[in-house]
Amino acid sequence: MEEKFKVIAAEYCELDADKITNDMSFRDDLGMSSLDVMTFLGDLEDEFDVEFDLADDDKKLARISTVGGAIELLKEYMD
Amino acid sequence: MEKRYSLTAAQNMHYRWIREYGTQQVSGLSIVAAFRMDIDTDLLKKCIELEKQRYSCLRLRFTAPDESGEIKQYIAEYEPEEMPVKDLRDMSLEEADSIMQKWAYETFDGDDIPMCEFRIVKLPEGYNGFFVHMDHRLNDSVGVAVMATDIMSLYKHFAAGTDMPAPPADFEKVLVSDLEKAANPKRLARAKRFWDSELDRLGEPLYSDIQGRSVLEEARKKHGDPELRAADIERKELFVAVKDYQLEVDSMQRAINFCLHNQISPTNLMLLVIRTYLSKVNDGQEDITVENFISRRSTNDELTSGGSRTLCFPCRMVIPGNTSFIDAARMIQNHQNHIYMFSGYDPEFIRDEMKKRYNTPDDTTYVSVYLTYQPPMTKDDLRTDPNKLPMHVKWFANGAATKKMYLTISHLPDRKLNFSYHYQTAHLTEKDAELMYYYMMRILFRGIEDPGRTITEIIDMV
Repeated sequence: MEEKFKVIAAEYCELDADKITNDMSFRDDLGMSSLDVMTFLGDLEDEFDVEFDLADDDKKLARISTVGGAIELLKEYMD
Repeated sequence: MEKRYSLTAAQNMHYRWIREYGTQQVSGLSIVAAFRMDIDTDLLKKCIELEKQRYSCLRLRFTAPDESGEIKQYIAEYEPEEMPVKDLRDMSLEEADSIMQKWAYETFDGDDIPMCEFRIVKLPEGYNGFFVHMDHRLNDSVGVAVMATDIMSLYKHFAAGTDMPAPPADFEKVLVSDLEKAANPKRLARAKRFWDSELDRLGEPLYSDIQGRSVLEEARKKHGDPELRAADIERKELFVAVKDYQLEVDSMQRAINFCLHNQISPTNLMLLVIRTYLSKVNDGQEDITVENFISRRSTNDELTSGGSRTLCFPCRMVIPGNTSFIDAARMIQNHQNHIYMFSGYDPEFIRDEMKKRYNTPDDTTYVSVYLTYQPPMTKDDLRTDPNKLPMHVKWFANGAATKKMYLTISHLPDRKLNFSYHYQTAHLTEKDAELMYYYMMRILFRGIEDPGRTITEIIDMV
């Protein structure tokens, strides 16, 4: 799952998938804007057949600031 | 025969306006890009021809409408174009701009025809370059900026031996991906749930006008409905005038620094400023909707593939007056982030749902102001480069507005922030644009100098 996650993330930044690490920040390290991150989440929903419920939950949005945080969140939705 | 594709949601938005207003003029997009340097005209023509081969969205054509009014698009084979050279040197730059403005009013009428044309221009004050006029369904403003940069990079390659610029991403591949995503039933259902839940939570929006409450009151009288919450759209008198104001570099930098420090995007800051202005002129109304254009270019391919990818969505901002400026900015940002997640959704579905729920009269709207914020193309655009060649870049209005007030905010080559107010002259005057800019700036700087101030306090201060 992580591998596929990073392949999709690589479409949004200038790094190859294997260079993306879990401690990286979407904004500072991958150079993604809010629009990019939210569009990326939409792609994850399609790929992994999940639906993020982020409404009224700023904490979930805050977790999505790093690659690792987003992967953990995705795992929770897949479980 | 070339493969036929349906229009994307972004293209359909323009096509709908063409049909509703009965003229292709509403979909015109024009820009001049010129440098203060001698240009080898033949070489520039060669680079533009090469660009049309590389950047295939420029070769899009549209079929005749079928019985239901729908059209298809296809990428035509490359054909060289008669590219006139227009010598406008014997006049002032202002006069040259006014001639080019007339070119921007021209229309592409017909089916299966090229929808883009270039002119080489020789301008006063030593500027030379090109003017391009196209249908907005081919490209959006970010895509046009990418195209112009690519043409000039090709020119530098052939003229000065710089590296050949990397080819743009394949437009057709991105188009197919977009259409596939849009047709994904699960994605569609998720987006519909989000937009429906917004209406469930907040109820019917309430119109707010640049000119105050009287406009809604007039609409209520006209439709004989004292509870009406929408106002009429101007469908006949479409002429638009443009008034530009420039925010000085120091002030622009203060606003950008506020955004960086608080991690608020400039778009969301401007949405807050506009909604506060509308609240001020509408007796403190707390429920304000502004339509915000989103340039949906996120993946590496989308950044350089061209194509019309911009969609506009209603940004509903219900913010009590006792909310602090910074909290209001964060509320808007949070809301916009959710909208971004569904930014491939056709906004017409949202309008259809509102019409179905609230049974609003035809040709009415909840929105008087539309916003486009165009971020700088690169971080370098925010820095001063003394070696940069002086440029003359100007976007021309197509002269037929589908919106009462359309504000485009963009970063200029000299680092000033340009506020370009396009307003329907049937209802608005330059004075309305001037007042709006004046109060927007007062609200902006009262807000960022003390973000703890409440919206009501700021309105009272300005």
